[in-house]
Order: sequence, then structure tokens, then C-alpha cells
Amino acid sequence: MHEIFSQLAGLLAHLGEKPILVIPVLGAEIRVDWMTILMSWIVMALIVVVAVLLRRGLRQPVEEKPNRVQATLDALIDLLHSQLSANFSSEDLARKMFPFVSTLFLYVLVSNWLGVVPYLDSPTRDLNVTLGLALLVLFLSHTLAVRRKGIKRYLRGFIEPYPFMLPMNLVGEVAKPLSHSFRLFGNISAGGILVTVVFVKFAPIIVPPILNLVFGLFFGAIQAFVFAILAVAYINVAVES
Amino acid sequence: MQEAQSVASGISGADIATAAKYIAAGICMGIGAIGPAIGEGIAAAHALDGMARQPEMQGALLRTMVLGQAITESTGIYSLLIAIVLLFVV
Repeated sequence: MHEIFSQLAGLLAHLGEKPILVIPVLGAEIRVDWMTILMSWIVMALIVVVAVLLRRGLRQPVEEKPNRVQATLDALIDLLHSQLSANFSSEDLARKMFPFVSTLFLYVLVSNWLGVVPYLDSPTRDLNVTLGLALLVLFLSHTLAVRRKGIKRYLRGFIEPYPFMLPMNLVGEVAKPLSHSFRLFGNISAGGILVTVVFVKFAPIIVPPILNLVFGLFFGAIQAFVFAILAVAYINVAVES
Repeated sequence: MQEAQSVASGISGADIATAAKYIAAGICMGIGAIGPAIGEGIAAAHALDGMARQPEMQGALLRTMVLGQAITESTGIYSLLIAIVLLFVV
């Protein structure tokens, strides 16, 4: 019995002992974590398979009454839409950005919840994944800002309210993706470490499922929502100011 | 007594470094959690005040509260990261 626990602990305590592929590139090296890539693909496969299966349950003609599957999905999407889109300043921007932001939410949510399943791991427990997502949001917000405001007004945004504030503004822009990604990574990996420590060290029965419920499902959902809503806020600020 | 003395003489610099690492991680997390806890509590209290006064604003207040708390939490997350680095990486 104890061997199973220690095996599981070895699998869960991944910090430092990951299966890593090292690619040498021009003197430096790129380190690729196989586990993260595998789990990322599992998340994507899950989302696509569930989406296809649910799609088959939807009605085909528009005139018919919606069935149970569709009513449920409508309610869920409506909830997501009302929570996320309300933070955009304009209706037009909200309609354009809602698919991206809700996809981000869905990916992060399924990633966080995957950590609850034994032998599987959250991809968001790897800083590279969350940093990648945060950089995606940063890139998108700045591209949108340039396209909406023009390059001149975009650049002038950096020296407002006064030109000597330029370094502050630049630091602020760099801090955005850092805090955005560290927050998700810190929350999810801390939850994982806590559950593993409790499981291995002092309470292998009854307590870990409850902790998993709190740290995996509840905090996972909250953090996914926070990640999506911060993406909304960053895009909105970049386009607006 | 004899045993304690022999153990004490066997302490090397690496042992002291390990002990300092654990103590530092504990202090880092303990002090680092105070600020965000107070800040999030204040945010929740004021959001509750607002909800009690205007129950119809509940949705918007909840959303803004969660967003503000998430941003407040970053300093706590930074100290958590430092603690993790101290425990597992250094």
C-alpha cells in the first residue's frame, strides 16, 4: 500500500524531476517538458471530443423547440457571456473578443480540472504554459491597440500623462504578463503541492478528496475565471486608454 | 548530553544552509500572506456592504470584487513563488 503512495508521490512531485527533452540551439538550450505537452494535448482532445459529442445533440432546424442539451448549453454560454462581455467598453469589441476570451477560459478550466484526475497533471502547473497564454494576451492587446488607435496614438500612450513617466509605463507593460501568468501558475502548483504533501505525509484517506475538491475544482474554476477576466481587462485597457 | 554534543559538532555549513532555507521559506510565506489577506478581506467587506445596500448590483459587484482580489493576491503569489524556489530549487 505504501509503495503505491510513494509511486504516486513520485509522479505528482514533479518539481525538479521531470522527463525533459533538451534541444541545443546556438549555444543555449531549449528545454521541453514531455508531460506538459502530453497533458496539453489531452486537454485539447477532451474539449474537441466533448464539443463534437454535444454538437450532435443539438437540433438541426431553427424552428424546433430547443432540447435539454441545448437549453443547458445556452444557459452556460449565456452566463459566461454576461460575466465576461460586460467588462468590455464597447459592444463591438465584446462581440469580436468573446470567442477568444471564452476559449481561453475553457482551456484553463479544463487544464486546472485535469489535475484532479489521478496520474494526470495540470498543464497550467507548468509556468511555460501560463506564460505562453499571458504573452498571447499581451501580443493580442497591443496589436489590437495599434490597429484601433493607429501607431502614433498608440506610441503617445506610453508618454502619458508626462514624458518622464515612460519608464513606469514600460515596466507596467512588462509586469502585466508576469503577474498574469505567475498568478495562475502559483495558485495551481501550490494547490497540487499542498494536496500531494497532505496525501503522502499525514492523511492518505478521506482528507485528500476534500482538498482536491477545494483546490482542484473550486480554485481551479475561480482561477480560470480570473485569468479570462484579466485578459478582458488588459485588452480593454490597451484598446481604450 | 554526550550524544547532543557529538551531533552539535557534526553540523556542517550545508546543514546550516538547509535549515536557513526552510526557515526563510516559512518566514517568506508567513509574512507574505498577511498583506493580501488583509487586502482581500477589505475588498470582500466593502463588496458585501455594497451588495447589502443595493442587492440588484450583486453581479457587477461580485465580478469586480473577484477581479480586485485576484490582483491583490499577486503579492502573496510572489512570496509563494519565492518560497517554492527556496524549498525546491535553491
